[in-house]
Amino acid sequence: MSVFSFSRASVVARKEWVDLLRDRKSIFWALFAVSISGPLVLCILYFVAKSVSERIDKTTAPIVNVAFAPDLVRHLERRGIKIDPEPADYRDRVKRGELDAVIVIEPDFQQAMAEGRPAKITLITESSRDRSAPIAAKLSREIERYAARIGSERLMLRGVSPVVASPVRVEELDLSSPEQRGARLLQVMSFYALFAGLMGAIAAALDVTAGERERQTLEPLLTTPVTAMELAVGKWFAVSAVNLLAVTISLTGFLVALQFVPLAKLGIPFSFGVREFAGFMAVLVPFAFMVPAVLLAIGAAGKTAKEAQSSLSIGASMVGLLPMISFLRQSQPPWWDALVPVNGQYATLSKVLRSETIPTLDWAAMWLIPAVIIAIALVGFSRTLSNEKLLAGR
Amino acid sequence: MISANQLTKQFTTKERGSTFSWRGKTRKITAVDKVSFEAEDGKITGLLGPNGAGKTTTLRMLSTLLTPDSGKATIDGADLATQKVAIRQKLGVLGDAKGIYWRLSPRENLLYFAKLQGMNRADAERRATQLIDELGLGALADRPTQGFSQGERMKVAIARALIHDPQTVLLDEPTNGLDIMSTRSMRELIRGLRAQGKCVLFSSHIMQEVSALCDRVVIIAKGRVVFDGTPPEVLAQSGASTLEDGFVRLIGSDEGLFA
Ligand SMILES: Nc1ncnc2c1ncn2[C@@H]1O[C@H](COP(=O)(O)OP(=O)(O)O)[C@@H](O)[C@H]1O
Ligand SMILES: [Mg+2]
Repeated sequence: MSVFSFSRASVVARKEWVDLLRDRKSIFWALFAVSISGPLVLCILYFVAKSVSERIDKTTAPIVNVAFAPDLVRHLERRGIKIDPEPADYRDRVKRGELDAVIVIEPDFQQAMAEGRPAKITLITESSRDRSAPIAAKLSREIERYAARIGSERLMLRGVSPVVASPVRVEELDLSSPEQRGARLLQVMSFYALFAGLMGAIAAALDVTAGERERQTLEPLLTTPVTAMELAVGKWFAVSAVNLLAVTISLTGFLVALQFVPLAKLGIPFSFGVREFAGFMAVLVPFAFMVPAVLLAIGAAGKTAKEAQSSLSIGASMVGLLPMISFLRQSQPPWWDALVPVNGQYATLSKVLRSETIPTLDWAAMWLIPAVIIAIALVGFSRTLSNEKLLAGR
Repeated sequence: MISANQLTKQFTTKERGSTFSWRGKTRKITAVDKVSFEAEDGKITGLLGPNGAGKTTTLRMLSTLLTPDSGKATIDGADLATQKVAIRQKLGVLGDAKGIYWRLSPRENLLYFAKLQGMNRADAERRATQLIDELGLGALADRPTQGFSQGERMKVAIARALIHDPQTVLLDEPTNGLDIMSTRSMRELIRGLRAQGKCVLFSSHIMQEVSALCDRVVIIAKGRVVFDGTPPEVLAQSGASTLEDGFVRLIGSDEGLFA
């Protein structure tokens, strides 16, 4: 028809940008919620981790029949565990969650010990409660350590080296560097940054497609010299700008949140500085432009906002499920995993966080694949915009 | 100057057989059937017909929104089939869909369309201010249009259609849903366009409205032109005593009038 006019496309983009940002009710707040959720989750995770480690540090051991095992009590006290002697209705309180775990010493504990029979201790726990698990594990570990000490003392008394009784010694060598261990907690960041780039565009994409049709403004628009492709590009650019705003707010939120949550205190040395910020942006900018193109192509096909909304939500949640595959996969990801949109981005963001070097090929995939998808989606979107059937609203 | 020659448009519609059948039958309806007429500059031409007659479809074809299945049309010599951009620049269209952007002010609505029509900033602003004054939108000019009355919204929509000062103006039922005062000012506006020598083609399903305004009436029913002449000729050709009776006789039935 006519040549593509960048000036008309930019007129469309500027109008949509202004129009979108004035939509306080849906777009503005959606943007806010999407961008703030990541930093918020980070803060929550930090406080949960902090309270768990504090609770473990301040463990008390409720002991029933404490008088029967003074030696064990001394052992626990030396290990910094306070003793809570003879707790009342301990079974119920463990069930209710008031006590994490209770040690019950059998009345013949000392006698069995003296006779060399296994002396029985019962550790009462409620294994379905996650909150209590670390405390129960700690108590159980301490009791075993006590038992091991007695065992080796007995062997030594008999002139046998305790080494004989431990034919295998397991030593854990955790290969992840401290940075990498921290990165595991902060994969939350990759996830929520992608989430912002995915959800930040939905309300806006809906508004400029089905919204335009529903408000009966598409038809007047198409009677002006603007071409469907110019409209498609302008709208895509405006929605992408909104989406990029969501991503930027989200990342900035992380930067700010990390100032307030001293992860180092939890033994998680972690840096999210300028280098990481730049790395994230290099991955997320093309992503933030790709997602709206796809959403617009889907959303434009819906005849009503409702129809478009449901197809958009389905599309977005499918895409949101993709990283789950990487989460759950036990084996090495196949080579093409890095090329799958969302998955590839997720993997690259994780590499940025782990301070790994990222091959040029990965960077190429981060930019070229979105470019191809954008081109295809925009052609589809512009076709739909100029489709006679959808235009007449039937 | 519009000249339409044998314009024809068919639609295929799907009919559901029953709730549980996947594929309904498809049916072809001829919405516009070999419609020919002319609309001259400096004249108001009325396209009159009951609901479903094919008025909107005809105007959509003339405004390049729909491609005719057959037939030709020219606007000021520009061919509908080959010179779409030229036609879009010549035409001011107030179509069936008259929505405006409600988070934008009337002025912003107008400026958007002015820029899409290729006007430069200064011209666009001057013209927008002029139309806002002419239509009495001054007090509302810089408020978001959300909450505007039907008449106020219609004014913004018509100003938007006229923003680039087009020579030919298409208006699809421009008084639909307006109260008496708004209808009167719309009529004044249409007469004003004629006085400026514009070619105005407007559609309506109300005979009185057309006869009050038009120099020429084209009556269409079921997609076909059944009358083409001046309002007084309606009486002569139909042999009826009132315009309304004449209209009903010419379209062959009163079905569709109230649809
Ligand atoms: N997009 C469409 N798809 C199917 N049928 C349509 C479409 N647009 C109009 N029609 C049908 O074409 C006929 C003419 O419609 P229209 O031009 O809107 O009439 P009018 O504007 O005179 O009321 C009607 O029967 C209508 O149902
Ligand atoms: Mg109509």
